[in-house]
Amino acid sequence: MRQLAALLCLLPALASAQLNVSIAIFDPGIPEDYSLHQDLEVFPKIRKIESLFLPFVLRQALVDSGEWGAVRVVPEADSAAELLITGTIGHSDGEALAISLRAVDARGHEWVQGTYTTDGHYDRIFDGFLADLLASRGQLDDRTLRGIVGLSLMRYAAALVPDAYGEYFESLPDGTYRLLRLPAETDPMMARVERVRSVEYVMTDAIDQKFRELHDEADAVYEIWREYRRWYTNFRSQEARRNELATSSGESGSYEAMRKAYDNYRMDRLAAQEQDKWIVGFNNEMAPIIDKMEQRIAEMNAFVEEGYADWTRILGELFEIEGSLE
Amino acid sequence: MRALIITLVLPVLAACASKGPVLDTTNPSFEGDMPVNFSGSWERDYARSQDVNGALNAMFQQRQREVMQQQQANSMSRVGPVQSGLSQREVNAMIDLARLIEEITRPEVLTISQDAYEVRIARKDDFAMSCAFYDGVAQGTDSQYGAEVCSWEGDDLVSHLVLPGGLIISRRYTLSPDGNQLREITTAKSSATRSPLVLHRYYFKFEAPARAFNCVETLSMKRVCSTGELNP
Repeated sequence: MRQLAALLCLLPALASAQLNVSIAIFDPGIPEDYSLHQDLEVFPKIRKIESLFLPFVLRQALVDSGEWGAVRVVPEADSAAELLITGTIGHSDGEALAISLRAVDARGHEWVQGTYTTDGHYDRIFDGFLADLLASRGQLDDRTLRGIVGLSLMRYAAALVPDAYGEYFESLPDGTYRLLRLPAETDPMMARVERVRSVEYVMTDAIDQKFRELHDEADAVYEIWREYRRWYTNFRSQEARRNELATSSGESGSYEAMRKAYDNYRMDRLAAQEQDKWIVGFNNEMAPIIDKMEQRIAEMNAFVEEGYADWTRILGELFEIEGSLE
Repeated sequence: MRALIITLVLPVLAACASKGPVLDTTNPSFEGDMPVNFSGSWERDYARSQDVNGALNAMFQQRQREVMQQQQANSMSRVGPVQSGLSQREVNAMIDLARLIEEITRPEVLTISQDAYEVRIARKDDFAMSCAFYDGVAQGTDSQYGAEVCSWEGDDLVSHLVLPGGLIISRRYTLSPDGNQLREITTAKSSATRSPLVLHRYYFKFEAPARAFNCVETLSMKRVCSTGELNP
């Protein structure tokens, strides 16, 4: 263990151990049971866009805090990331927002798990989460943080060249990981792994850039949607209040009473259908942008996966050759 | 013939003393594709359609027959009060109901769009009637203002609407075998009427003129129209 501690010191000194953070696109939290959508005010098309859009808001908040290393939005959760954040949208109606967020480091240790809510100020929803994240980090010393960086790298290396690095860490029965040792600083295979990782980071950054572009394009449209939802919610509550205060429209079964009942229902349906039109409008405007973005991400992912298979094969062969030379 | 199963045949319209009728939105369901495609533009066929006065007369006659039968039964068994005829209150209620139905069935054109999940019947100056089914299960709407649910009964599409105060409006849509005619039967009953008002309307299919513009809804630019193909 003392040897490991000494080796950890060899890892690049980090200013307060600025971990790199990966944010997976959020789970839109759309119930499979369609009949629940109306009651829960779930708009699937909007939710899907929010699941791509909101991680970037979190990314920006983390970057602006200056407390973290590279912060990337990634299409899929990578459990070997130094710090991985996942989220599920629990509620979003344009006014109130609730997101369940979880942060787990490369050891598999959970830093934060909770639901964060806001009324109105979407950009502030992550304030509490950021504070919790910093508090969790504050409980870890620099050595532990460097260990996380090292473990993340070794898990990545083991996935790439299992024969070479599979025994540098162990997985524990509770699902967590423990770093056992680090390769020598002059390990040529490790240098290759780091080069592969840096190439992958370049691609990840390109994907992240796509999410950034989506955010820039969606921001204004999303704000119009939220403004409309605020108006709609206000309209509905005013309607309900007006109905409560309205004087009797004649006895039950009279023309006046029936007409009022029908008109109330009619207005309610017209308002709901107008909202549907806004959702379609939102989707019409965003769908081509998202389609383009998803296509580009799929191309980049395909490139990485293809390259990854080649790198794994080549590095495995090199490891065998170098092993036979020793 | 597609398998068509109505697991819960009809929404139950149960009498409830304090709140009026309640629509059981326990979702009616079916299997497979929707049995009939109603898509298209439909214009009222005045020659075949019933007017509301006709429906009101039929309702009167039905009630008078019921009252007479009641009177005969009571006089034979000498039990219960002998009713002399329809009360003025009931007559007024029937007229009120007919007036309302006349107003809400006024649109002459129905524009029906249908996909795998929804039949949408758009009417001028009124909300579009929407019958949505996901995995064959009807998706009703239910709010403080009323409850509505649809079901398939054989090849008929039926919509039930229950409003506060006890007003119930059902609409049954049937397509003719050649697909060129549509029958709509509106059945309405209020808390003050004992028999329903039943109104038969017929529509024939017509080709709506092609639109000069292709339009698409957007949020930032509202409706965007073009003479060519539009990609939002």
